[in-house]
Amino acid sequence: MTHKTKAVLLLGIPTAYLVLLFILPIISLIVLSFWKTESYHLVYEWNIQNYVTVLTEGAYLTFLIRSIVVSVIVSVLATAIGWIAAYAIWTYGGRFRLLLALAFAVPFFTGEVLRVIALQGLLGPVGLINGTLMKWGFAPVRALMYSNVASGIGLFYLYLPIAVTVIYLSLLNLDRRLIDAAKIFGAGGFRSFIEITFPLNLVGTLIAFALCFIPCMSATLSPRFLGGPNGTLYGMAMAQQFGESGTWALGAAMGVILFLFSLLAVVLIASCLDLRRTGFTGFGRN
Amino acid sequence: MTDKLEKSGHPQGVSATIDRRGVLKGMGAIGAASVAASTFRINYARAQTRKLRALMWEPYLLPEVVKEFEAKHNVEFAPTFFDGNSEAYNKLRVGGTKDFDLVQADGFWPRLYFQEGLIRGVDYSKMPSTENFFPIFKPDRFDILVDKASGTKFGVPFCWGSYGITYNADGISPEKASSIECLFDPEFAGRLSANARFEENIALAGVLVTYRLGTRDKPRPDGKPFNPYVLTDEELAEVEKLLIEQKKLLLTRYQDNGTLFQLLASGAIVAAPEFAQVYRQLLAKVAEGEVTGDIRHTLIPKEGGLGWVDTFLVSSGVADGDQFDLAQDFINTMISLDNMKVIGDRTGCSTTIDLRSVSTPEQQKFFLMDRTEELADMFMFDQPSSPEKWERVWSNMQAA
Repeated sequence: MTHKTKAVLLLGIPTAYLVLLFILPIISLIVLSFWKTESYHLVYEWNIQNYVTVLTEGAYLTFLIRSIVVSVIVSVLATAIGWIAAYAIWTYGGRFRLLLALAFAVPFFTGEVLRVIALQGLLGPVGLINGTLMKWGFAPVRALMYSNVASGIGLFYLYLPIAVTVIYLSLLNLDRRLIDAAKIFGAGGFRSFIEITFPLNLVGTLIAFALCFIPCMSATLSPRFLGGPNGTLYGMAMAQQFGESGTWALGAAMGVILFLFSLLAVVLIASCLDLRRTGFTGFGRN
Repeated sequence: MTDKLEKSGHPQGVSATIDRRGVLKGMGAIGAASVAASTFRINYARAQTRKLRALMWEPYLLPEVVKEFEAKHNVEFAPTFFDGNSEAYNKLRVGGTKDFDLVQADGFWPRLYFQEGLIRGVDYSKMPSTENFFPIFKPDRFDILVDKASGTKFGVPFCWGSYGITYNADGISPEKASSIECLFDPEFAGRLSANARFEENIALAGVLVTYRLGTRDKPRPDGKPFNPYVLTDEELAEVEKLLIEQKKLLLTRYQDNGTLFQLLASGAIVAAPEFAQVYRQLLAKVAEGEVTGDIRHTLIPKEGGLGWVDTFLVSSGVADGDQFDLAQDFINTMISLDNMKVIGDRTGCSTTIDLRSVSTPEQQKFFLMDRTEELADMFMFDQPSSPEKWERVWSNMQAA
């Protein structure tokens, strides 16, 4: 097989994958968003009413704002806790580092639905936490029962492993001699972390944040099973359009807006980066 | 670019040899190969196993019966599950008639399916188990499954129920629980739950709103007798207000029967509207001593109630011949006395098949076998007159 054939095959597969499973669906979603639905029928009339509805109706804006708030809080917390866990494994894990890092992937051995339902059992009115509290004569913690807090806990639980893994992989790429050098020149542990470790792993940190934030924005399971009456988030409302209400065109417009918003978030996150300052070369360690 | 490729270890000159035509040729070859492979695979699979494909509610699946049926006919039964009628309807409309042989639906939905050509007529003479229907479900009386113009029967009902109120009489009086008002009563704040499905929530609130407003006897938007699935804009606005008020009183909207069972069994809530399935499951657990409480069920609230009849349908994609016979034989098998008894026991549903000859007096009372005639007083589950307006009401409530 010639180099040319190999290259065409190797590049052709991901290109075909992207075109068939990403670009074409996105295009069909965009087209759908400019049509309308009436009583479960698609009406092929070009219009922008769905976008007007999503961007001006209070309900959909509320879902969007609610989702942004929850996603930012969850992503910040997951990234912060992810940093602590990844740093601890990297620093103190010794020969068990890889095992400890892989342990965070164990929850992924089960499906997302199972994990959320298990959490429902833990946080619910008769779950382990509130059940134990009530058994001891204390009042149950209402914030844990079908609330945005419970939904946030669910999202945090779902996406923390991603944050830990990404930050840990980023730390693996860090040259420890730089920290030693900083310490030789008098920097304490905290200062060497602030000036060396953290900035040189900013790429990993921001990727961890983005990989939590974007799926949180479109999350459906956690708000549905844990969120309660006030817990409808944007992704859940969007899924509703494609399910029982059959308002697909409106759902498509919500999807396009979510896509554009996620794209904007990625651009904003990328703009925070100075690749030279982070030591990122794109070619791995020399 | 070339510099980067060299640094990253790629062979020199590769980037220069890739051109657009080459990439397109490669993609075309891959695409053609994929299509050929998938076509071969599909044809090969069809030749190997004959399938009976069903779009159905999961609780009605009886694995042991299916296994026996598969062995008897040398076929594979392939179920796909759905939750609400509109979800199944959407699936059928986007080409599902070619993907499914059997379909399940309830209320007036089968009629809509038939009008839109999504399902076909069935032949009761090929399904002798239909002889065992309670009188109210025989085609001469249960005419919502008969096309009036042609007389074609297009569905086989198998389970029925109401969307009544299951409650714990230790926490709420039977008098209060006999009215839909109890689901909106601040006295029970935090101790109520409701279904997560938007259609039944809006329709049930519509029953209460029209009762309060006294608008049922006035001319209706569709010119027909009152149907809670056809509401005026004013009534919908009142429904929205009512649902927003109710939201503050709900502990949660339950997503499945398992969650509702736990909420009622633990005493976390005292009342919730449901299909009487959880009610029966709770009664069974009370009898076994595993659950405490005075669990009761209001079949039809004083303002009126919603009712449903689950139905087997045959997709319009099934032509006369072996596949049609197979589909009808499956329905006939499922609605046999023995299998309907199992379905009733497992799902907690009342059946359209008269099981009194194989049931104890307690079971007859438990499954309302002597109360099937009350179905005539209920409003059947139906398609919302405007899903778009109903969706807006639901979203406004969720965001409030």
